[in-house]
Amino acid sequence: MQQQSILLLFLALAGITTIVFTYIFFSSRKAVESQGMANPLKKRFWFLLILFVVLGIFASVTIPKSPYYLFADETPTKVYHVAAMQFAFLISEKAIDLLKPSGDDNIELPVDELVEFRVTSLDVNHGFAIYNESNRLITQVQAMPGYVNRLRYKFNEPGTYNILCLEYCGMAHQVMRSSFIVK
Amino acid sequence: METLKLKKVTSGWIITILTLFIVSIVLGILMRLNQGGVIQQSAGTFYSNMTTHGLTMIGIWFVAGMAAVNYLLQRYVKTSHGPNVFALVLTIIGVILLWTSTFIGDFHAAWTFLYPLPFKDMGAAPWATLLFLISLTVMGIGWLVWSVSLMAQILKKYSISQAFAWQHLRKNPTFETPPFILITMITLVGVIACLITAVVLLILFYAEYFSNGNFVNDALLMKNLTYFFGHTIANEMLYLGLAVIYELFSEVSGRPKWKTTWYVALAWNLSLIFILTAFFHHLYMDFVQPEGLQIIGQLASYLASLPAAGVTVFSIFIAVYQTKINWSITNLLFFIGVAGWVIGGLGAVIDSTISNNIVLHNTLWVPAHFHTYNAMGNVLFSLGFFYWFSTQFIDKLVMSQLTKFSLAILLIGGTGFLLAFYIAGADSIPRRYSTYPEELSVGVNMATIGAIFATLYLTAILIFFYNISKRCLKILFSPS
Repeated sequence: MQQQSILLLFLALAGITTIVFTYIFFSSRKAVESQGMANPLKKRFWFLLILFVVLGIFASVTIPKSPYYLFADETPTKVYHVAAMQFAFLISEKAIDLLKPSGDDNIELPVDELVEFRVTSLDVNHGFAIYNESNRLITQVQAMPGYVNRLRYKFNEPGTYNILCLEYCGMAHQVMRSSFIVK
Repeated sequence: METLKLKKVTSGWIITILTLFIVSIVLGILMRLNQGGVIQQSAGTFYSNMTTHGLTMIGIWFVAGMAAVNYLLQRYVKTSHGPNVFALVLTIIGVILLWTSTFIGDFHAAWTFLYPLPFKDMGAAPWATLLFLISLTVMGIGWLVWSVSLMAQILKKYSISQAFAWQHLRKNPTFETPPFILITMITLVGVIACLITAVVLLILFYAEYFSNGNFVNDALLMKNLTYFFGHTIANEMLYLGLAVIYELFSEVSGRPKWKTTWYVALAWNLSLIFILTAFFHHLYMDFVQPEGLQIIGQLASYLASLPAAGVTVFSIFIAVYQTKINWSITNLLFFIGVAGWVIGGLGAVIDSTISNNIVLHNTLWVPAHFHTYNAMGNVLFSLGFFYWFSTQFIDKLVMSQLTKFSLAILLIGGTGFLLAFYIAGADSIPRRYSTYPEELSVGVNMATIGAIFATLYLTAILIFFYNISKRCLKILFSPS
């Protein structure tokens, strides 16, 4: 699970940072006379170089995994139009008329096929976030008035997926939701 | 006489900031208690409190950094008293207007007031949106005048290239720019850039408000402007705190003053570029934004950590490692604050990775990391300064048992409160929800745990507030 790995990575890095700071603090408390750090400029150089290489590797591994490039060369088998509004989501297989917006009642998505959501908003900024049956956020995109964001995804597990709004949109933001079934 | 005036206005700032801080923490705790189901607030009250909490916190820690920098700048250049007092008065008026718009007018579009939400903020009084925009304008004017006046005073004494320490990039510079001047200058450029952006943003808001529907803004442009302003001011306030550390850490530790070298000059100049371009990471989930800008967002967010870690953090390590120094509450707060800043920065770098952001964006991971480098970073930088400021005019202080106790509960409370955010964030719990849907019960439990630990943090802050304020009040009312 991506989020669990992220949390573990963070906790490990935060732990290492705490240990380093604590160690340095106690090295000062114990110091009888000031010895200081030998060759600080050299150490600083190596510290920076290692950090630069680590970040470089991290960037080159993660940037190609950005959502903009996922499924970019494939053609989605189905397209769903999403119009978010205070405080509901309209979803339809047909393009949504902005003057008379309406959505389909029951949305069923195909399993293991690439689908595309074309997401916009009729009023303020909203979030279109998809949660799986374990209540884990699996993907998201923003719904912005005047723009259409295209989110592609391949659902490998059949089941009921919830859609929650993840951009604060006013008084009933916390109850703005919808769902669909993947079969 | 001038110094006395500066001492008094700085005391005024400190008392104002700490008072507003305590109220804002209480609002934060009420929010977590509501999310935890311990108390029941209406959604409107929750979101109004959230708006007040966010904007007040951003405002006070920005002016805390500015007030500290203004005080210390007096060592190098003559600063004007007028803009400092002007900013203090306008900040207080701005906060009163802001609180009126949220507490009485029920304005609740969050501190980011993302366009067009303030115009479609259902449930708020009809006048509240305009009053909110006016409150921002009042504070913005005060801060802009203050920042420009500080920069003008620096440039009266130092040339532009000296203020940016460019001569250090050549061999054998004949003139040394103090690190404090370099960092203050770099930070003020960022501050002025983001405040000018705020002016543009507000003008666009007013234009639409008064146009009766004849003028409509572009949501993507407004979002870019909002985050350029919001991200930059939230980061620059940390850099104001770092300027204070560069000036005071060695001094209070009884060590030689830090010097500007070629790599310090280079690192801070590069920081300016990265800080001003990292804000794109707030728009990763707007897929219509050009991809190039998204990648710049990730790279700038990563690169911003290099000068910070390689120069500032490493310099702290060198200053402390196996070095006998006089530990006091001030340098201890600075040292712990730098650790908090680094840990929050790690959470931020993880979130600024686009492929992670898709599962973290607008979850509680976001408040988790920014509360880390604020509540356990920047706040400690400023508290360190407040302590130093309030005690420099009295006899040497020893660290009392009460101070040690308050520091311990600050650490325990802060850590627990933040962990509750991180764990909930990794569990996909959304941010900015007044209550959680049934299936996200983890969010409810974590909110209650967070509120308990935040109360410990508040207790520590109350002790600090008592100690610092009583001394600042003495300075404020002393005849000489």
